[in-house]
Amino acid sequence: MKRLNQISVFVENKPGRLLDVVEVLGNNNIDIKAISLADSSDFGIVRFICEDPKFAYEILTKNGFTASLTEVLAIAISDRPGSLARVLKSLKESNINIEYMYGFSAKIKDYAVMIIKVSDLEETIKCCVANNIQILSQSDIKSIV
Amino acid sequence: MIYDDEIETLPREALEALQFKRLQQTLERVYALVPFYKEAFKKANISPEDIKSLKDLHKLPFTTKDDLRESYPYGMFSMPINKIVRIHASSGTTGKPTVVGYSKADIEEWAQLMARSFVACGVTDKDIIQNAYGYGLFTGGLGAHYGAEKLGAAVIPISGGNTKKQIMIMVDFKSTVLTATPSYAQLLADTIEEMGLLDKINLRVGVFGAEPWSENMRQKLEEKLHIDAMDIYGLSEIMGPGVAIECEAKEGLHIWEDAFIPEIIDPQTLEPLEDGQEGEIVITTIKKQAMPIIRYRSDDMLIIRGVNVFPSQIESVLMEIEGLAPHYQLIVDRVNNLDTLEVQVEVDSKVFSDEIKKLQSLQNQIQKDIKDLLGITTKVTLVEPRTIQRSEGKAKRVIDKRKI
Repeated sequence: MKRLNQISVFVENKPGRLLDVVEVLGNNNIDIKAISLADSSDFGIVRFICEDPKFAYEILTKNGFTASLTEVLAIAISDRPGSLARVLKSLKESNINIEYMYGFSAKIKDYAVMIIKVSDLEETIKCCVANNIQILSQSDIKSIV
Repeated sequence: MIYDDEIETLPREALEALQFKRLQQTLERVYALVPFYKEAFKKANISPEDIKSLKDLHKLPFTTKDDLRESYPYGMFSMPINKIVRIHASSGTTGKPTVVGYSKADIEEWAQLMARSFVACGVTDKDIIQNAYGYGLFTGGLGAHYGAEKLGAAVIPISGGNTKKQIMIMVDFKSTVLTATPSYAQLLADTIEEMGLLDKINLRVGVFGAEPWSENMRQKLEEKLHIDAMDIYGLSEIMGPGVAIECEAKEGLHIWEDAFIPEIIDPQTLEPLEDGQEGEIVITTIKKQAMPIIRYRSDDMLIIRGVNVFPSQIESVLMEIEGLAPHYQLIVDRVNNLDTLEVQVEVDSKVFSDEIKKLQSLQNQIQKDIKDLLGITTKVTLVEPRTIQRSEGKAKRVIDKRKI
């Protein structure tokens, strides 16, 4: 399984709301592997990756949050100047649009890991395989400390 | 169904004759006994004798919510306090409440009209009515209660709030009718669903009112609770619940014309409109003793930058958007002498997207639909679920922060 389930959570843009989300996760022993916060003028979306996304989704909705599971890809890019450009070029050549992207805080060996949400998941996976771009699976995520 | 055969089936002509007789009695009464009306009639250069038929009704001056506030507390009563047996008051969003007094005969008549309303929307004396309207100064609780007793149904006077206990009683007592505000009915329905008890309830009819609600809300309540959800209309200044009711056809309200005369006026010109045209409702009571009201302009309408806005219009826009939950609040304010209207809508999992642009386009769509319908620009704010207060009495759909 190349696809990762990302959790997205709706938060109002006011002090303490992000804290409320991560506190619920912390209290339930959910480890955040990567996180990003997208914002507009009055609301934001917290997106994150964890080991057991279905469990995290249940916990959040039980606690009254509006959340969803979205399929994204985690791609491993060698941590050297120009490698992100090489990946994006391959995607562009396959006419794939990136909706959003954020990075993992941890490095895996020499790789930086980027989470991308794309217009066409199947096409992106094909493109990555063809261009030798490594995609991490949910079980790979587990091994990231 | 029919409760009072004679009065509910009066031919039009006889009904109008009865209305005119009662109107004349009412006018004589207020002219003689309520200084406010004597003055208002004189100012309009009119006396009760000038009203020669129902068609002359429009010559009379209006009564507004402000008039009621200015006569606080007992200025509109046409009876001395020793003849008054009940006093209700409506919670004003701003300032003093409006006070309403009832004589013994008024309370009896109200119970009768409420019993007629119950029967008209399918309730019978065999029903167990869980009355979740608030008991107290608000007319909903006691109004429905007296009507239910008059009808001979078993009434559970649980009042609003205490949701878990409501549900326990609803299951254990096998309540067959729920009377509540539609927003509280929604909260109950959501909670029953969360508790997994939808198949344990026995409801068959819901009688919902005291707030505007939409056809879409009706559908949602009917599907979830397996009930017929019926609209009841009333306003405390006029009497309370039971002024008008839906019948099984669910195609609008029937007003009890032997007790009230409705008019629809153009809110700009204040002239009466023809049948079938939309406008503002004006009601005259023709049977009340303690506090008759002539041509009452109900205040449900908001005037925003000179545009008349009914909360139900905004609700209808929201309900037409796929997946949107019926939880919203309107916040009216005045910034730099300009009225502002903010529409807060809760985002639940059905409309949530992990992409900002999709949520923004939802905001834009709501804004555009409201603009198309009403011609006013609003600020649409998406808020988290359950952040808009679920009213357990009467919903605060509108918060008016304007200080005028």
